[in-house]
Amino acid sequence: MDYTIWNVAPIVLLPFFAFAINAFIVKRFTSLAVFISCGSILGSFFFAAKIFFDFLNKFSENYYIHKTFTWFDLSYGDMPFKMDMGIYIDSMTATMLFMVTGVAFLIHIFSTYYMHDDKRYGRFFVYMSLFTSAMLALVLSENLISVFIFWELMGFCSYSLIGFYYEKEGAGNASMKAFMTTRVGDVFFLFGIIAIWSVIGSVSFVDIYAALGAGKFDGLFALGMPLATLAAICVFLGTVGKSAQFPLQVWLPDAMFGPTPCSALIHAATMVAAGVYLSLRCYPLMEAGQITYAISVIGGITAFGAATIALVQTDIKAVLAYSTISQLGYMVLGVGVGSYNAAFMHLITHAVFKACLFLSAGSVIHSLHDHHTHAHVQEMPRMGGLRHKMPFTFFAMLCCTLAIAGIPFFSGFVSKDRILGDALLMAFADKWYWIPTLLGFAGAFLTAFYMFRMMFLTFFGEPRDKELYEHTKKETLSWNRNVPLLILSLFTLGVFYAGSLTGQGFVKVAGEKYEWFKTLIVKPDVTQFATRVSQPFSFKPTPSGLTFEKSKYDSSYGLPEEEAHHIHHVHHIGALVSIVIAFGGVFVAMMMYLWRKWNPGFWVNTFSRWYRALQNKYYMDDFYLKVVIQKGLLKINNTLAYIDMGLYDRYVVDGMEFVNRVMFTISKNFDDAIVDGGVDFTGKSVKAFNVILRTIQSGKIQVYFIMIVLVLTGYILKLSL
Amino acid sequence: MVSLSSYLFISFALFVSGLAVMIARKNIIAILLGIELILNSAALNFAAYTRFVNQNLDGHLMSLFIIVIAAAEAAVGLAIVIRFFQIKETIHIDDATQLQA
Repeated sequence: MDYTIWNVAPIVLLPFFAFAINAFIVKRFTSLAVFISCGSILGSFFFAAKIFFDFLNKFSENYYIHKTFTWFDLSYGDMPFKMDMGIYIDSMTATMLFMVTGVAFLIHIFSTYYMHDDKRYGRFFVYMSLFTSAMLALVLSENLISVFIFWELMGFCSYSLIGFYYEKEGAGNASMKAFMTTRVGDVFFLFGIIAIWSVIGSVSFVDIYAALGAGKFDGLFALGMPLATLAAICVFLGTVGKSAQFPLQVWLPDAMFGPTPCSALIHAATMVAAGVYLSLRCYPLMEAGQITYAISVIGGITAFGAATIALVQTDIKAVLAYSTISQLGYMVLGVGVGSYNAAFMHLITHAVFKACLFLSAGSVIHSLHDHHTHAHVQEMPRMGGLRHKMPFTFFAMLCCTLAIAGIPFFSGFVSKDRILGDALLMAFADKWYWIPTLLGFAGAFLTAFYMFRMMFLTFFGEPRDKELYEHTKKETLSWNRNVPLLILSLFTLGVFYAGSLTGQGFVKVAGEKYEWFKTLIVKPDVTQFATRVSQPFSFKPTPSGLTFEKSKYDSSYGLPEEEAHHIHHVHHIGALVSIVIAFGGVFVAMMMYLWRKWNPGFWVNTFSRWYRALQNKYYMDDFYLKVVIQKGLLKINNTLAYIDMGLYDRYVVDGMEFVNRVMFTISKNFDDAIVDGGVDFTGKSVKAFNVILRTIQSGKIQVYFIMIVLVLTGYILKLSL
Repeated sequence: MVSLSSYLFISFALFVSGLAVMIARKNIIAILLGIELILNSAALNFAAYTRFVNQNLDGHLMSLFIIVIAAAEAAVGLAIVIRFFQIKETIHIDDATQLQA
């Protein structure tokens, strides 16, 4: 795998140039701009696919590619201050690139269907191109600073896309809310970067791994805790903001104001996944900082809490929004329980099926058009029976729902079950881990329930709004809607991510076939990074990067047989429990919404207080608005404003003004009387003297003659005397 | 025998009358004439002193220089007067005020 810059740079630069070109031509040549956007993503997909399949085929060598160039070097003496930029590709990066470009391409294609009649059709693609290039650049980033740069760039694109329908009431506020809420996490992320920089003078991932391997983070204290803990907490708070974890999850549901394809790309498949991706990248740091338990609890709370709120949502996109938060919670839970490759696997599988779910929801919303209000309908109580009208969408959404609910043979089952299995393993080892584990299992039950509730309310039963149903056209075979849906729903099958039932996978190790995910995605072993060799960023092929040993974590490798057996055993228990609760959730949903045997109203009335709490999202928005902002931030702001206006402005600034006025008066008088007076006196005296002298300068030449004679006479008289 | 003092007396008379003409007359040509008289008195002085005091030709030479200078001065002066007359149509000295401050 000899890579030059030409293998890697186009992945980022193609969408970026598409953005740069489209920004100028989009008004006049809209369809050309759309074509350029889609084509550029397809191009980067091919480049990413080459890297991905190279890793897949040569996985046993387990490369990472790390190339840097110096961005700036302000070193002075023995004070190093040097910043490198570059790329870092390991198997996780390669998988991520493949997923992002693939999903983004399909979403772009779908957008040509969904956004076609929008009056800002072209502008949507401009933002999408910029967003995709930022995400790809983040994935390729070699250090935390460039991660942070592209992280913020995505935040901006997200802001623009959430507020895309800016005429709509609330869209502007929603985009502002998303931007500001994630900013809270980003500030901490920046603190984390600074903390890391202060220890090792570099923010490169490889340097961080090497420093962790060399134990440089040990024994340094800040705020009473090891510096690794501080840095890990700060970096993880960045994840909390970006990946909408408790307690900063409030922005994601409101982000559904954006167009549905952008929700599919940004708020389900890629941007929110970037937070989890960062956590995985910094996993050794989290481990060294010993905050994994806290991470797992936050993940568990998010997974369960968001799932409960999703139970009572009636907006089809809101259900999906909360399910996204919930699934991100599972990923974070996976990070917390050390389930490195399962967390990443869930990121990938979730990206695929959630993108598909959003696109299906978009397809439904786009088809349902209210002729009275001229708006699209998103409310599930007005749907029902739609499977007769739109069979393709129904099929795609069903596949994805099966996947997210954790039904066997689908991708969500494989990844979620592994996370829960690892959580169970941790719980058996340490009883405190029962809290996140049980939250995770409960969330899995609720997930199956609310997803099938959504399916039944949307596609089954009698149409509840007859007029709307009659007006809905039968689904046509428009390729740019159906092809992305069908491709994505095909990839919800578990077999693409895990091995077959017999444990056989795609890739060969020593003649035996293994699952690619387990062999490819391994936790970076920090002790292997001490002898790193940084390669210059060049246009010529250079020898590929270092290799490192496979992780000791992976249950298939290197463990004593007894321990491996124990792990398998626990995983089997976890899988069994997962299957049972998934089917349990589906069964309850069927009883309530398909067969109508159990009345949901009964539960609503019995737990009416809880129902209201859920409808109000546990009052967290109100809490932030009324307590944090009004009682807290506004008070602080008012105090600061008083200090500024009442004290500083009044006494310091105005006092300075008074002093200046006095000084001014003194200096004015001095100036007027003495300096100016002196100047005037000189002029006036000269003028007065002139009056005398002027009289003898009459201009009459004979007068001058007389003067000459008189002077000469006087001179001669003086000589002769 | 004509003594030095008689030459000097004539020279003095010429000088004084030239000066008087220069100061008193308003006609520019008359003033030029006055200047000629003064120059001539100086030339006469040179000639007289060289004849009676050091007996060489330096004074004569100087007199010849003065005659040449006087001729040149008269030519330039008259040219100026003619131009002045063309502009002002007068040769009255008090009308020559263009250089006055």
